[in-house]
Amino acid sequence: MTDETTWIIQAQQGDDEAFTKLVETYQKPVYNLCYRMLGEPETAEDAAQETFLKVYQNLTRYDRERSFATWLLSIAAHHCIDRLRRRRFTSISIDEDEEGQTDLPDRSAPDPESETAKRQERERLHNHLQSLDPTDRAAIIMRYWQDCSEVEIAQALKLTVPAVKSRLHRARRALADLWEEKPAHVRTERKPYGSPAF
Amino acid sequence: MDHRPFEDWLLDNHTLTTDQERQLNTHLRMCSSCAALAEVNLALVSVRVAAPAAGFTDRFQVRLASKKQALRRRNFWGFLLLTVSVLGLFGWVSWPVLKDLIQSPVNLLASWISSLVSFWGSLQAIIRAGMVLFKVVPGFVPDYVWAVILFAAGGWSMVWIVSLMKFTKYRQGV
Repeated sequence: MTDETTWIIQAQQGDDEAFTKLVETYQKPVYNLCYRMLGEPETAEDAAQETFLKVYQNLTRYDRERSFATWLLSIAAHHCIDRLRRRRFTSISIDEDEEGQTDLPDRSAPDPESETAKRQERERLHNHLQSLDPTDRAAIIMRYWQDCSEVEIAQALKLTVPAVKSRLHRARRALADLWEEKPAHVRTERKPYGSPAF
Repeated sequence: MDHRPFEDWLLDNHTLTTDQERQLNTHLRMCSSCAALAEVNLALVSVRVAAPAAGFTDRFQVRLASKKQALRRRNFWGFLLLTVSVLGLFGWVSWPVLKDLIQSPVNLLASWISSLVSFWGSLQAIIRAGMVLFKVVPGFVPDYVWAVILFAAGGWSMVWIVSLMKFTKYRQGV
């Protein structure tokens, strides 16, 4: 029996310390999903905390035959989708990076210009993500940030596997269309492609 | 410009041969749409996982404690409200009886005993009639009717059990 399974069983029996260990283990993937979905560090923190509260309240309903990570991310994704549906408009700060701090180049990095360019690319991708349909966005985040398989995404988002594939295609095409709108002088030089086709 | 099969290769993450790679690179130099898709692919595979600010678990514990306290407070007030409501309703419904009980307890007690005796008499009569019917009726019912009744009862029980199992099976997810 893994540590995680032990913590889950103990937490299901009411052991708060065991649940805290689960929170420590999964805080980063859950926060990352919420941040990529919602776009703002403060909202993401709140959504991640709410997700863990929901998990705490529904832990007895968790089926140990299934992956805990998928179940947890499913709750986080649905929570964020609900929030986005309730939200009338979004105001995303483009001056903040992943930790919610001002985007300054890392002077200690070997190549500060390259680091700045990479950071700008990440910011652009993050901002473009916000224009996607919430479910497509969740699928993209789970696929690329959480490294989930299409089957896991389908289970988490209650979709079929072909629907997940179709949503991933559509989302990447939409992101590429937004990416193409970038002014020519900002575009970074693309490196030659290797296999697979990335 | 014809984007096929290049767009499919990029979207499906095909493993490419050397010749296909060369064709793709040639196409990407001419096609800004596919080049953008390739750039997005590159950006997506080099993404960084965002981490919460330090002390996330501590903040969660504080939030959980406050949620539990709020729940306890809500449960207490809910229980109190329910108790008061039930007592109030009981008092309102039983007020005529209580009033009689306070004014003339002997009369009320005599009336209750009389009702109880009457009820007991009726119950005994019904039981006696039932026993007679139970002895007489089976003689009039053919065996195959009993078989049909038993079969129907069995089928109905099965439907009932299957339905209960289906509806009480908890669902995974939110």
